[in-house]
Amino acid sequence: MVEEKKKFINRLKSMYALRANIDKMYARTVEASKAGNPTAWCAVNWWEADPILKAMGVEVVYPENYGAVCASAGVAQDYLERSAAEGFPTYLCGYARNCIGYAARMKELGEIPPEAPLGGMARPVLLLNSSALCDARYKWFQSLGRYLDAPVWTVELPHPGVKESQADGAHEQNIRFMVGELKEFIAFLERLLGKKMDWARLDELASAFIEVNRIWYEINELRKARPCPMHSRDFWTCMTASLYPSGDPKESLKLYRDLLAEVKERVANKIGAVAPEKYRLLFAELPPWHDLKIFDEMAERGWSFVVESWAYHPPKPIDLSHVSDPLERVARHTYRWFTGYFANALQEDEYMGYFAYPYLEWARDYQCDGAMLHPLLSCRTATNHLVLVQDRLLSKLKVPSLVAEGDIVDFKTFDHPGTMRKAEAFEEIMDHYRGLRRGEGLPW
Amino acid sequence: MTKVVIVDGEGLLRARVVSNTGAEHRRLANRVMEEALQQAGLPFDQVSYVVATGYGRINVPFADRQITELTCHAKGVASLFPAVRTALDIGGQDAKGLKIKNGVLEDFVMNDKCAAGTGRFIEVLAGTLGLKVDELAAVAAKSTQKLRITTTCTVFAQIEIVSRLSEGVPLEDVVAGVYDAIARRTVNMLKQLGVEPDVVFTGGVARNAGMVKAVRDNLCYDVFVPEDPLITGAMGAALLGKELVLKARAKGQPILRKERRLEEATFFSS
Amino acid sequence: MTGNIRVAGEQKQGLARAGQIYHDRDIRMRQLKAEGRKVLGYLDIYPVLEMLTALDLVPFGILGDIKEPISRADACLPTIVCPFLRSALDLGLKGRYDFLDGLVAAHTCEVGEKWAHIWRIYIDLPYIHYIDTPHTTHQSAREHLAVLLSDFQGTLESFTGAKLTPERLRRAIRMHNEQRALVRGLYDLRKPDPPLIAGTEVVQVLVALISLPVEEGNELLRQVIDEVKQRHDGPKKKPARLLLWGSVVDSTDLIAMIEDLEANVVMDDTFVGSRAYFSDVKLTDDPLEGLAEHYLVDIRNPRTFRETALDEANRKDYWADLESRHGYLKDYAREWNVNGVILQTLRYCDIQGYEVPGLKDYLEHIGLPCTYLEWNYSQAALSPLRTRVQAFLEVIG
Repeated sequence: MVEEKKKFINRLKSMYALRANIDKMYARTVEASKAGNPTAWCAVNWWEADPILKAMGVEVVYPENYGAVCASAGVAQDYLERSAAEGFPTYLCGYARNCIGYAARMKELGEIPPEAPLGGMARPVLLLNSSALCDARYKWFQSLGRYLDAPVWTVELPHPGVKESQADGAHEQNIRFMVGELKEFIAFLERLLGKKMDWARLDELASAFIEVNRIWYEINELRKARPCPMHSRDFWTCMTASLYPSGDPKESLKLYRDLLAEVKERVANKIGAVAPEKYRLLFAELPPWHDLKIFDEMAERGWSFVVESWAYHPPKPIDLSHVSDPLERVARHTYRWFTGYFANALQEDEYMGYFAYPYLEWARDYQCDGAMLHPLLSCRTATNHLVLVQDRLLSKLKVPSLVAEGDIVDFKTFDHPGTMRKAEAFEEIMDHYRGLRRGEGLPW
Repeated sequence: MTKVVIVDGEGLLRARVVSNTGAEHRRLANRVMEEALQQAGLPFDQVSYVVATGYGRINVPFADRQITELTCHAKGVASLFPAVRTALDIGGQDAKGLKIKNGVLEDFVMNDKCAAGTGRFIEVLAGTLGLKVDELAAVAAKSTQKLRITTTCTVFAQIEIVSRLSEGVPLEDVVAGVYDAIARRTVNMLKQLGVEPDVVFTGGVARNAGMVKAVRDNLCYDVFVPEDPLITGAMGAALLGKELVLKARAKGQPILRKERRLEEATFFSS
Repeated sequence: MTGNIRVAGEQKQGLARAGQIYHDRDIRMRQLKAEGRKVLGYLDIYPVLEMLTALDLVPFGILGDIKEPISRADACLPTIVCPFLRSALDLGLKGRYDFLDGLVAAHTCEVGEKWAHIWRIYIDLPYIHYIDTPHTTHQSAREHLAVLLSDFQGTLESFTGAKLTPERLRRAIRMHNEQRALVRGLYDLRKPDPPLIAGTEVVQVLVALISLPVEEGNELLRQVIDEVKQRHDGPKKKPARLLLWGSVVDSTDLIAMIEDLEANVVMDDTFVGSRAYFSDVKLTDDPLEGLAEHYLVDIRNPRTFRETALDEANRKDYWADLESRHGYLKDYAREWNVNGVILQTLRYCDIQGYEVPGLKDYLEHIGLPCTYLEWNYSQAALSPLRTRVQAFLEVIG
């Protein structure tokens, strides 16, 4: 470790315990697999399938997370090359190609490859997919059939248009669809695993996940304060317990409560994550995982990242206490995550209610001076909407964007010194637009 | 570069001309042909058949037939190494992998989209390092720990090697790393076909000893290199032409030929 | 070249008419607009055209144009996504489709979905509807799609002020089924050796079909079929009879490049090709159910996730899974006497891209040689592809 330098981001203490929690899932899954218990590779599914798998006693790892793990450990390049040698087009998602290379190598060796970081992903009995956001994922899991004999299941999440979602009856129909979907999934799982669903356990887990996210949402709401008490770096560290909920939800719940208490205390005492807080920024979408220190350099300039990564944020809370069916609770919660901003979007004639519109709402509510956009060479899902976001932020709110290209696995794509050079000039641009906003009577 | 090979009925080389015409002079194939005819001591009407190959194959008005460089390379390589099953051809603009069985092309892969993994990559990075291409192999030979260049894009690789040099990585390790990067990329491409011995490495880049070593190291197979790797494709084209003529003669069939004139291609010839 | 030459008052027939519309796609749409008809643009094959036809709305298939450099779309859809969708949006932004009264989009793929939302932000039209076609063939997904279609019906009725009765809908379904049968009849003309109609001509006819009201398209198909059966100057016999698989093929350029070599393209599995036409819509009691079943289950397209084929131990049976997903290609190959397959994806197409290695496995397994081309939807990129295709033809000899 490098010698302790002056820290420009005031990190939250309670964040460290949450970070430790996530790495354990790989070891847990390998152990489960050795003991003959069911394990799954699972696409991030925004709590739609997670509680069901957990209630059925399936240990889960998330290959998307593992893509980031392999990239950080420096083994991704070999897996990407393997994927190319297997004949997969090189324009496909970096995480997918990493996983395909890993699976091909695991098949060749007949066991977890020795170089696999964090003990590797154990051979699964199920590949569980979600239709949420990204098409690459169900095609990727389907293509793993060359290397794995685990069946693939895709859980549907409806993606209505903004306008269509507000039509009479649309909301309830989508919930009915999801509940039907989850019932089919459970029937499939019961056949696959030869055991019955533990409904009491599911009920408990569904509520626990919803409560975790409610607190997590409350924490993020507090970041609207000036100065902002929590930096994006803490968000990305802490989001994993919500997004990859493979651990004990009771433990996660406790950790998020500790986090909430710490953030509340900071707000009460006007302690910011960055001091002095000269600029408040939002970040879209996935950060440069290998180069998070760039945010410390930006913090040194007084930049605080106050909100980020719509896809990784918890849903706006809704009261589900009256809903007795756990499947319906799960469905309403996940659907809320996807469509929670749609009603507001429609009022503003914005038709991309996920990914794009939330940044407009946030830029206003969190009073952002600028946005940093990070288009990714091999992730269309995180990149598609960024030119749109840039245009809407500027034309509607006079909030300018700093664009820095990167990739999820090919880290060399990210130009750190170039980005810092641009950052310096960007401050003048942010100042300029701050003046324009005030001139137009906007409150920040 | 434009290459002409003339073979006789026995398949023996009668002329070999390599001319640095450049892309804009492709249509001047007739001039290179004239030189080859002179070397062979033949008038043009004594040539039984002309096969054109390579990217410029459609710009050779006096050719009787156009056959792709993939088939021609397979033929040329197999004529030199009859046991060949896998061939790698790296040229200035593209890289090809060939699967060959009994001297016949069975399958292929190509990279023509991107400079990384071709001779162009070496040229660009040699330029970045301020070296000439033919100086590189001697430099790389001194390397004790080759640099792992992780990016796959030529432009980013330039940035990467400059920054690694400034971090103090020795030049020889950077150069060995450049070779290794191309070798990894092309060997990976080759793996799509399933590599089987014998393996032959051909094309202009195969003249570069540093590159041959890097391909060997990455492939885990021994690699055969033709003495004159630049003309394997042209040689294959000539041999295919010879076969077509002999086959037709044996069957007593007429040899289908274009009405040939040794002239420049115009932009409107087809 | 007949492109962009409008000859007033001259109504061509058959292939000449198809060629004319192919080169001048809006010619009939503008006439219909002048007659007071309303034209709705749609993207790809999932918008349920039967419902438009039933309400006297004219469907018009939105395509890209590989000859038009993309400029305006750069400001709202980045360069790392499907070049076809970028081109189609670019044309919309440039006013190429300014005769449209509305737009119907449906989920074919993720970028297509976002394309629709971006279109709606930048190009406002009196009517726009997005159908959230599910991803799977689950029972709940089929039922859900039928409900989504009834919502779609509601918005169409408010837009037109007309009632869509089951009877009108059935009539429209029959007309579209007739179109499907006629297209299959057209494809039958590709079965002889040499085929009676060239691959490039088929693309022209199919592009013309999505640029005409269904009844006029059917009339055109009848003319073309008669003409092709009677003519004597069709394609020449060539050693290779190819099946072209892949994403979007909305112009003749790619096939022209292939057919310029020693090959006839005799079958395809693409959009604008056979994909939309090779199964009929069943006339169910509630017509929406038959439509949902058709669009979600019957259309064979890698964008729809199909259940894994399992062995007795509930493990994935790889070959059975490939058979269940790609088996129809074996039937195509047999019926059209195909001896080689070209797998083509547009660069950045995820849906088709992931399919390639498994599909290659399958085709090798059933003894059909294939080659893979990645295309960036530009004319410039066709010349290196030509080398690959020619080498492939030399291999299959």
